[in-house]
Amino acid sequence: MERLRTTAKLVNQMNAGLARAIRWLCLIMVVVTLLVVVLRYGFDVGAIAVQESVMYMHGLVFLLGIPYGIAQNTHVRVDIVHARLSATWRHRIELAGHVLFLLPVAVFIFVMSLPYVAASWRVLEGSPEVGGMPAVFLLKTLVPVMAALLFLQGLSEIIRIALAAGGDEEPHMTSSAL
Amino acid sequence: MNYTPLAMFAVTFIALLGGYPVALTLAGVALLFAMAGILTGAFNPGDLGFVSGRLFGIVTNQTLLAVPLFVFMGVMLEKTQLAEGLLTNLSHLLRRFRGGLAVTVVLVGMLMAASTGIVGATVVTMGLMSLPVMLKQGYEPGFATGTISATGTLGQIIPPSISLVLLGDVLSNAYQQAQLNMGIFAPKSVSVGDLFAGSIIPGLCLVGLYLIYVLGRGMLPGNAVPAKVDEPDDGPSLLQTLGALFPPLFLIVAVLGSILAGWATPTEAAGVGASGALLLAMWYRRCDVQKLRQVCESTLGTTAMVFFILVGASIFSLVFRGYGGDELVQAWFEQMPGGMWGALAIVMLVIFLLGFILDFIEITFVVVPIVGPVLLAMGIDPIWLGVLIAVNLQTSFLTPPFGFALFYLRGVTPPEVPTTSIYRGVVPYIVMQLVLLALLLAWPGLATWLPSLIYG
Repeated sequence: MERLRTTAKLVNQMNAGLARAIRWLCLIMVVVTLLVVVLRYGFDVGAIAVQESVMYMHGLVFLLGIPYGIAQNTHVRVDIVHARLSATWRHRIELAGHVLFLLPVAVFIFVMSLPYVAASWRVLEGSPEVGGMPAVFLLKTLVPVMAALLFLQGLSEIIRIALAAGGDEEPHMTSSAL
Repeated sequence: MNYTPLAMFAVTFIALLGGYPVALTLAGVALLFAMAGILTGAFNPGDLGFVSGRLFGIVTNQTLLAVPLFVFMGVMLEKTQLAEGLLTNLSHLLRRFRGGLAVTVVLVGMLMAASTGIVGATVVTMGLMSLPVMLKQGYEPGFATGTISATGTLGQIIPPSISLVLLGDVLSNAYQQAQLNMGIFAPKSVSVGDLFAGSIIPGLCLVGLYLIYVLGRGMLPGNAVPAKVDEPDDGPSLLQTLGALFPPLFLIVAVLGSILAGWATPTEAAGVGASGALLLAMWYRRCDVQKLRQVCESTLGTTAMVFFILVGASIFSLVFRGYGGDELVQAWFEQMPGGMWGALAIVMLVIFLLGFILDFIEITFVVVPIVGPVLLAMGIDPIWLGVLIAVNLQTSFLTPPFGFALFYLRGVTPPEVPTTSIYRGVVPYIVMQLVLLALLLAWPGLATWLPSLIYG
């Protein structure tokens, strides 16, 4: 019981910690895009690698933001019916969704993307553009990483709901990031 | 005929009503169907192999890079209260006209919608900012709430909102596919910029109709609009007001202008716009580290939300295709009486109904890739189709009792205002949107003329 709770907490902290770090990339993306525009139109310099770095940051932001969004409950839901349900029913739906949808989807993405990522690593796949960032294999690796983090976050949510249902009330974990 | 894709659609629809996150419901139901199909031999497991390519395609998609940047710009304008300042200043400028505040709400709502394009956020922000003031000045509650919800949905059709970016990207893929299916191997393309250009005239028409209505209600007998308020003249001077109005207006016009003039790609313009919003916020001393962190956090959440739906919808459409859903839709459309118009009518009806429970993002990613290639292959202009979808969805979001702009507004409306009066208030706006839809159907040129002029 105790170990389960510690695990859940650890997963939450890990995903929240990652999110705390990568959210600043949103700001950096904005600044770098401005830089690219200034370089291109002001100085006629096309900096492919700089331009591609925005794509890498974007990949980090949205892929690693996905598991964090599960913890923070920021993923959009259809709440016409949901809003009228009792807490017990909402917990049941949550639990069923995690088990039937979240975990299989995470496993599916992980398993399906792994061979492609491995192939990309074998040749250390670089950019299709001349002068681009030589790290496409790292970018692709983010997809299975996202799936793994999503899986862990799903387990953590299941533990939290199960413990709460067992009368072992655990307040909803929301990081006080703001 | 194999009806499994239809069953899949129906089951997904019902599962969505359970309220579990949309992205995972879409992907989860599809996977369950695929598993069942593999066990019974009805589904070829090889069809799932395309998923990695799809996912890497999302990560490396250049057009969609504009999304986090536009979200950053919108969140920045909202969180630093720059939009609110715009409202205060403009309503002060128009205080001498009867209905001046309502005009202000329409104009500021249009700008906010253009910069974010997220219906819920615009309606809630506009509702919080302007509803209390409108009620205090004596506007009839139905009229006030109707005006606010209608302007909140303008983000569907006023560029450079992210909904048009998403729709542009999906339509461009659908258009390529339609032409390849027809055996055209040097296909014409349609871009986000095309869609932006196409939606300007219809969008401005709609805003024009709104303004005529708002001013008209002020002149007609009745008590919807209060007599002009005698505010003391102690506010900021005309020059100060214009000075405060200029920067945010300039920002949006510059972003849009540079895309339409072909100087910048939507992604570049979004980056410049977001930097501009950041500079404005710093200039007005509205931005500290705390605020920046909030803006980044909010951008992260919204971006992850949008792209997760894209991931879920990709898995859904993969399985849907694997079961022959494409052929089913195509066969169905071809049997439709009235040919192209019959197919278009049924698509519009389905999208309108889906708009009751799904947001723009889900409909764009799930429905458009399925029906888009078939409709476009029937000879429908992609820009025209995009604008029709946008206006249609906007109407759907506003239609009682399920239109969800109304839910968002209900959440921020004082309990003394009955829901029925909100419903009554939006009816004229729904009529205006239907008028626009009819105009677009009669004259596709409203949407296609400007893009052809700009891009040739």
